Amino acid sequence: MNIPKQPISQRILKYTLTTAIVFASLWSAAGLEITIERIIDAPRQIGILVGAMFPLDTSQEAIDRIIPKVFESLFIAWAGTVIGAIFSFPVSFLAAQNVAVGAVSKITKQILNAIRAFPELILAFVFLPITGLGAFTGTLALGIHSIGTLGKLSSEVIEGIDEGPLEAIKSSGGSKINELIFGVIPQVMPTITSYWLYRFEINLRASAVLGVIGAGGVGQELINQLRFRDFPRAGTVLICTIALVLIADAISASIRNRIIQGKVVKS
Amino acid sequence: MINIPKKPPPSYLVTIGIPFSILFTVFSFQRVGFNLQDFRENLANRAIVTDPLFNPKWSWAWENTADAMVETVQIAILASIVGCAVALPLSFYASRATNLNKYSYFLYKSFLNLVRTIPDLFWAMLFTVAVGIGPFAGVLALIMFSLAIMGKLLSETIDSIDPGPMEAAKATGSSHNQTVFTSALPQVLPNFTAYFLYIFELCIRASVILGLVGAGGVGRIIETQRIFLRFDRISPIIVIILVVVILIEQFSVWIRRKIL
Repeated sequence: MNIPKQPISQRILKYTLTTAIVFASLWSAAGLEITIERIIDAPRQIGILVGAMFPLDTSQEAIDRIIPKVFESLFIAWAGTVIGAIFSFPVSFLAAQNVAVGAVSKITKQILNAIRAFPELILAFVFLPITGLGAFTGTLALGIHSIGTLGKLSSEVIEGIDEGPLEAIKSSGGSKINELIFGVIPQVMPTITSYWLYRFEINLRASAVLGVIGAGGVGQELINQLRFRDFPRAGTVLICTIALVLIADAISASIRNRIIQGKVVKS
Repeated sequence: MINIPKKPPPSYLVTIGIPFSILFTVFSFQRVGFNLQDFRENLANRAIVTDPLFNPKWSWAWENTADAMVETVQIAILASIVGCAVALPLSFYASRATNLNKYSYFLYKSFLNLVRTIPDLFWAMLFTVAVGIGPFAGVLALIMFSLAIMGKLLSETIDSIDPGPMEAAKATGSSHNQTVFTSALPQVLPNFTAYFLYIFELCIRASVILGLVGAGGVGRIIETQRIFLRFDRISPIIVIILVVVILIEQFSVWIRRKIL
């Protein structure tokens, strides 16, 4: 049988890619001083850590300390998302090409890109000396980062709208403001609301981490317990965080589905 | 007289959801200690941070960050390659299209979901305790991070592949493993490559902050300077990180255009 061969250029590409990947990983492994012994030993060490966490510390004192911290993460994530949503909503209209003037849209987009470039943790430790240790710093950092991401997503939604309703409003004598209120907002609101919820899910994970530098939330508790080698309690913190994230994700995802797909009409 | 149809009553989601979310917002702001007066007073002291932040010490940053920056990139490269390589077989087990056993499908799917709920820095903290402080812990943490994302993206892609080629392979009498290997894998390889590059970008961003918990990379230097409030040294490091991240993203966009 005559099986056609792969073209030569494809084969060259395949081999160069393979060698590039192998060399990149070898170079990295050598640079990071990762030896075979360490890799072989790692599962055993991880096993020891996991073994030390069980049985979990479920004493009343531990629960009383951990549960408020876990909920603090939830509040930080929600408040940060609200800040992001409130400020990004008007900004996203300025950033959308079909609503704002060309120059305004370009400048706003660049500002949003610049905000998005800084990770939440870096924002948080810049704010830390100003607003102090605590949940508010984390909220502020999450809020500002969310303005950047939500502004970009929302402005892209606005750019993708159907122009028909706008023309209809214009032809019936509506002003520019009327166009925005009756033409643009009803079209984009479902998608933008679902992006807000989606951002809340991301912020929940981020707010759990913020405690590492003292900006409130459950991360503080985890890093303290790990430093004091109190592994059962660290395990409890971890399990509580996982439970919170799973529950909040499930609720938020079901609301998003309902918003995007609409009500199921029984016929 | 035009007969305007009646507006349907708003759904429960709106009637209950909106007041509830407003209440929850107020409650959250109260709990995180939001206080406009305090905030304004605190803002008056912003010079402690902003003065050094906008007077960067470039020469110091050049001398001290180069090694750590290379380490950061190495962590991201190694972790994204290993993580995606591990995720490739796993996501075939976590997809309904290629895993016929309902129970093992559920098991793999929930394993991937579980890995995904733990934030990257939590993994880093756990691994620094388990295998010791240093970049090895960072690599392990980012392997879990990229494994989770790749597993989710790829298993959902496998769910939606065209079943035709698989049926054709089965009709010629191939076993299930042969079917998956010859008909399902080639269909998702382009997506796999695109996801890999995307995850590599995410890993570069994530590896920058790993050092805050002692898992190697440029975050280690930021952490030591942060404790001493040396924002004049931190701001040039942040700028260098941004430049490197943007350059690597451009490189990855270029590769994507070349390959796909």
